[in-house]
Amino acid sequence: MNSPLNRSRWTPYLWLMPSIILIAVFVIFPILIVFKLSFSEISKAGVIGGYVGFQNYKDAVNLPAFKTVMLNTFWWVVSVVGVSTVLGFVIAMVFNQKFRGRKIARAILVFPWATSLVIQASVWNYIIKYEYGSLNSVLLNLGIIKQAINWRSSYQIEFIWECGVGIFVTVPFVAFCVLSGLQSIDDSYYEAATVDGAGFWDKLFRITLPMVRPSLTVSTVLNIIYVFNSFPIVYTMTKGAPANKTDTMITYLYMLSFYERKKGPATALSVIGFLILCACAGLYMITVMRKEEAEQ
Amino acid sequence: MKNPDLVGPNRRALLFVILGIALSLILLSMPLYSFDACVYTKKSPNTFVGDEKYRSVRAEVEQVADGYRAQGMACEIGEDVLERVNSKGETTSLITFTVTERMSRSPLSLLGKGFAASKVLALMLGLLALALAAELAGCVGGMDLVQFRLDTRRAALRNLAALSLLLALLLVPVFILMNNYAFSRQIGLYTAGLLEEGKEALYTRMDALLFEGRMGAEIEKALGGLTASHSGLLWMLMPAMLVSLLAAVQLRYGSIQSSAMKAALYFFVVVVCLVTLYPYYVMTVTAFRSNAETLDMYFLHLFPTKWIWSNLSDIIHRGVPRYLLNSLLVAGGATVLAMLCGIPAAFAMARMKFWGKKAFLGFVIMSQMFSPVVLLIGISQLMNTLHLNDSVLGLMLINAAFNQAFAIWLLRGTFVSISPEMEQAAMIDGCGTVGALTRVLIPMAAPGIVTALIFVFINAWNEYTIATVLISTASNRPITVGITQFSSFNMIEWQYLFAASLVATIPVVLLFMSIEKHLTSGLTSGGVKG
Amino acid sequence: MKKTLALLLVLTMVFALFSSQAAFAADEITLDVIICQYGPNTNEWFLGKGMNGTNFVDKFEAENPGIKLNLDVVSWNDVYTEVDTRIANNNAPDILNIDVFANYANEGLLLPVKDYCPDDLFEDFFPQFIAQSVIDDTVWAVPDLASARALFYNVDMLNEVGVEVPTTWAELEDVSQAIIDYYNGDVYPWGIDMTTDEGQAAFAYYTWGNGGGFVDADGNWAVNSAENVEGINFALGLIQKGFTNPNPATQTRYDLQDMFAAGKMAMVIAPNQLPTYVADKGGNINMATAGIPANEGKTGSSVGVMDRVMAFRDDSAPDQAARNEAIGKFLKFFYDPENYVGWVSMEGFLPAVNSAVEALVASDPSFAAWLDVLGTCQFYPAAKAEWDQVKQGVIAAEQAALTGADIQTELDALQAALVG
Repeated sequence: MNSPLNRSRWTPYLWLMPSIILIAVFVIFPILIVFKLSFSEISKAGVIGGYVGFQNYKDAVNLPAFKTVMLNTFWWVVSVVGVSTVLGFVIAMVFNQKFRGRKIARAILVFPWATSLVIQASVWNYIIKYEYGSLNSVLLNLGIIKQAINWRSSYQIEFIWECGVGIFVTVPFVAFCVLSGLQSIDDSYYEAATVDGAGFWDKLFRITLPMVRPSLTVSTVLNIIYVFNSFPIVYTMTKGAPANKTDTMITYLYMLSFYERKKGPATALSVIGFLILCACAGLYMITVMRKEEAEQ
Repeated sequence: MKNPDLVGPNRRALLFVILGIALSLILLSMPLYSFDACVYTKKSPNTFVGDEKYRSVRAEVEQVADGYRAQGMACEIGEDVLERVNSKGETTSLITFTVTERMSRSPLSLLGKGFAASKVLALMLGLLALALAAELAGCVGGMDLVQFRLDTRRAALRNLAALSLLLALLLVPVFILMNNYAFSRQIGLYTAGLLEEGKEALYTRMDALLFEGRMGAEIEKALGGLTASHSGLLWMLMPAMLVSLLAAVQLRYGSIQSSAMKAALYFFVVVVCLVTLYPYYVMTVTAFRSNAETLDMYFLHLFPTKWIWSNLSDIIHRGVPRYLLNSLLVAGGATVLAMLCGIPAAFAMARMKFWGKKAFLGFVIMSQMFSPVVLLIGISQLMNTLHLNDSVLGLMLINAAFNQAFAIWLLRGTFVSISPEMEQAAMIDGCGTVGALTRVLIPMAAPGIVTALIFVFINAWNEYTIATVLISTASNRPITVGITQFSSFNMIEWQYLFAASLVATIPVVLLFMSIEKHLTSGLTSGGVKG
Repeated sequence: MKKTLALLLVLTMVFALFSSQAAFAADEITLDVIICQYGPNTNEWFLGKGMNGTNFVDKFEAENPGIKLNLDVVSWNDVYTEVDTRIANNNAPDILNIDVFANYANEGLLLPVKDYCPDDLFEDFFPQFIAQSVIDDTVWAVPDLASARALFYNVDMLNEVGVEVPTTWAELEDVSQAIIDYYNGDVYPWGIDMTTDEGQAAFAYYTWGNGGGFVDADGNWAVNSAENVEGINFALGLIQKGFTNPNPATQTRYDLQDMFAAGKMAMVIAPNQLPTYVADKGGNINMATAGIPANEGKTGSSVGVMDRVMAFRDDSAPDQAARNEAIGKFLKFFYDPENYVGWVSMEGFLPAVNSAVEALVASDPSFAAWLDVLGTCQFYPAAKAEWDQVKQGVIAAEQAALTGADIQTELDALQAALVG
């Protein structure tokens, strides 16, 4: 493309400059700092000492809660992303049908996406309170239960609730991604399939799924990253208690760094988390770039 | 149009309609409700069978039972002895005396007794009768008619029948739950002295239902230990009516499949919407409760007894306007900055050719993934060095930077989808590149830009984690951090927490709803091109 | 047009930003003060209209021209993080009201009290309180206020069930069982808080009540003593038997107090201001106090909790003497009976200075009894440098034990980390 806009060799870089500066200073720099810190000695008050090699990493891996936290993080990401992808897909399929009130229904679906996670988590925290929570109140006053139920009777159940809230706030994003994919499918595909005598499942697996796969891939990868980084839900609902049994990596990182003040292992954990993210991001980049190329 | 083959199936369907209704009536007249009226309970601690205290208490209980028997009740005295050996080796004992009467009542016996559920029941019966009548009238002499060619009168009658049955079906859970509430919970609350409102009325009705009005003033004692339960058979009303409903639909449309699909669709949509709205109901309702009511351990009220509007004015004195202003500054500033930097970059990416474009594109895609949270420590260190810690400006910059990649990606997608011809024409007319961008491309790409703008704004508005770490002075907090002061461990003020949450949520939800239409297109044209 | 608009928007924002961080005149001294939020009235008292129509800051500034207060009321949830961040950011407050002090003192961040506290005020503090803030013979903080913990019980409930208030652990179990039996489990007999908020208090109640504690007789850490393990196991036993609130790992003392106020809990260990708290919640409970139950043959000691006020060094201050004097004036004003009595009694705390006692006893005779209790209290070993770590450590150990871990192993590990 030889556009008249392309006046000098340096013009494009000039246009990119503000953006590059912004990203370099506030994104790249912190990354470098974290890497440097993870190899340095850090005192409790945050004073930075000399190079200590991989000591911080060793300390991090040897933390008593390390294994639990990593396992929790794995389940957190897998369950939230997995369930919300399936649910979001189903909801999108339904909300793509024509029915009365579809506009309102879709507008309602946006709510959780637009609400701050701290607020969502606080509300759910209140909802499932055993002693005075809203869920017990509603169920009792509707005559559905006769005795208040302890909705958080063990930490495993509390963790499941946290995953539930995670799913609740993630579903709309998936649903809208899938909806955008569904809308790009031409009706003629389905009509042709109907003529060929294809049933509901045939259409689902032969047309719908392949056509929305790109949106689904993208939303899944994005979700893996969002969910991995999610902090407010766990922090608001349990703070990782009891004894880090409900912590995910991000909340643990925070507690380690700002509550237990073990800044050294915390930075090491930070780097580990960052590398995990990079792996996901790289995967995502390759998928998207490949698609870009295919389109050109 | 007539089809004699239809007579058989239609007759069968009509039979099912009648059968379902009949079954429902039978169920309703069965004694499915059982009441254990524990009319009197006396707990006597430190009492042993046969000792003096036991004898006196027992005598007291006998006397009470005799009193009830005199009123014609078949009472039984129960005696539950709980003995334990305590740590000192002494035996302790708790004896619970009860005077009980067991009764059964059919759902139909509630009719005309004035319960809330009585009216529901009457309505349900009326609907069933109406359905039956309409169906019969709609079928007489038309059993061989093809469904989609029914005359208007028959069609309307059959429609009416199906609709009545649907409503009756929906009333079943309402009826059952209302009774559950009245018999178990409401009476429990009255007897515990937690609720006064409507007590007299319900007690009189219960007296009428259980004791034919014999109890009078004694009813309060008689209901003291009431346990009510209903047999699971009661729920069979739903399948019974469903059979009728399906048969009625068959009679109207010739097939039930598409109607059932449609019903399932609406059911699903309603459930999804209710679940989604539930937290917002909780937030709104709790925001206007009094503190005592937010911590109500007896779950007395679904809605505030009194809407405390002053909660809203109270949070004004607790710094909320300041927090909102900070959030506005952070989100607004971040959005403006992200756009000012992002639009030129996206423009260059969409329209210009240069070395390293692909690498930059890859970098942009990848850095969408970088979250500030995992880099917390690095960011707080950086902000210290720049003396931007604990400032609104610093927060603004961080939010702008971390949303930059996403903004570029969205904007680039929008720009690419617009043909460059118009700008080229404008430039030939003497506009510079900047002129072409601001006068031609930006207006044309407005929907995409607005989408990106709102995305960035909402992301920044809702950001919490970085703000908790960076901001230490109260007056610099954005609203997401500011509201946490209401949930401090030594005093959770749920009403203020949710009042502030409500104020913080409404504008963003409205913003997001305004771009809901563009959401799908924005996602496709930008980051998530399908 | 649009460009101008955007520019205007940016300009307004930048302006709003800088105007919010107003500069102060050079000859004034500004003291950054952080006060912890003790209750719903704290904010009103310091910043609103809670002090007879005015507030602490306005009144202080009116009486002390040339000194400005930049005072923040921070919730207990956030205060540790906030102070840490500010220290790390080289932006420590001048005056801080908090419970801990040893870490700050050991890192050389604090000013010794004698540098700024006027002598007559210093003499006024209860000496046994001052003794709790000494490291290496230097006093680093002054007591702000105190509270004493005791067992509160619902008199009507215990009478109804026909039991006496328990004094030993064995009796506690009997009474709990009787309450469970009588109320069919609708009432929790006993409350335990093992949350990250105050799990160390639970540790204190059950180890001190068994002759153990955080430290041994010589004042060295001894968190894993046999007495401690037995004590904590007793508490865990109460939970397992269903005698307590169901979720001790997430239910804070305030949750327990709410249950007590609602008549859902029969006994709870709480600070002396519980009656005020219950009344504020609209509760109407006929309550009485008793000693915290101890193991057979051991004497329980009541638990004192004391918060402190301390001043941070600021080497960048141009005139150190003037700064010290200003801090002194702040303290003088703070502890002036005219102000202090209102502050202490507002949230129902116990005073830390002699001059306030008379006025307080006059206003509420029940204070006298509590002041006696305070004299026999045990305090947390907050002056030891590792206290933060111990506090978090015992909470983590308790919580681990709640999920099934062996408390002995957990405490052994903590002890090893402390002395090893």
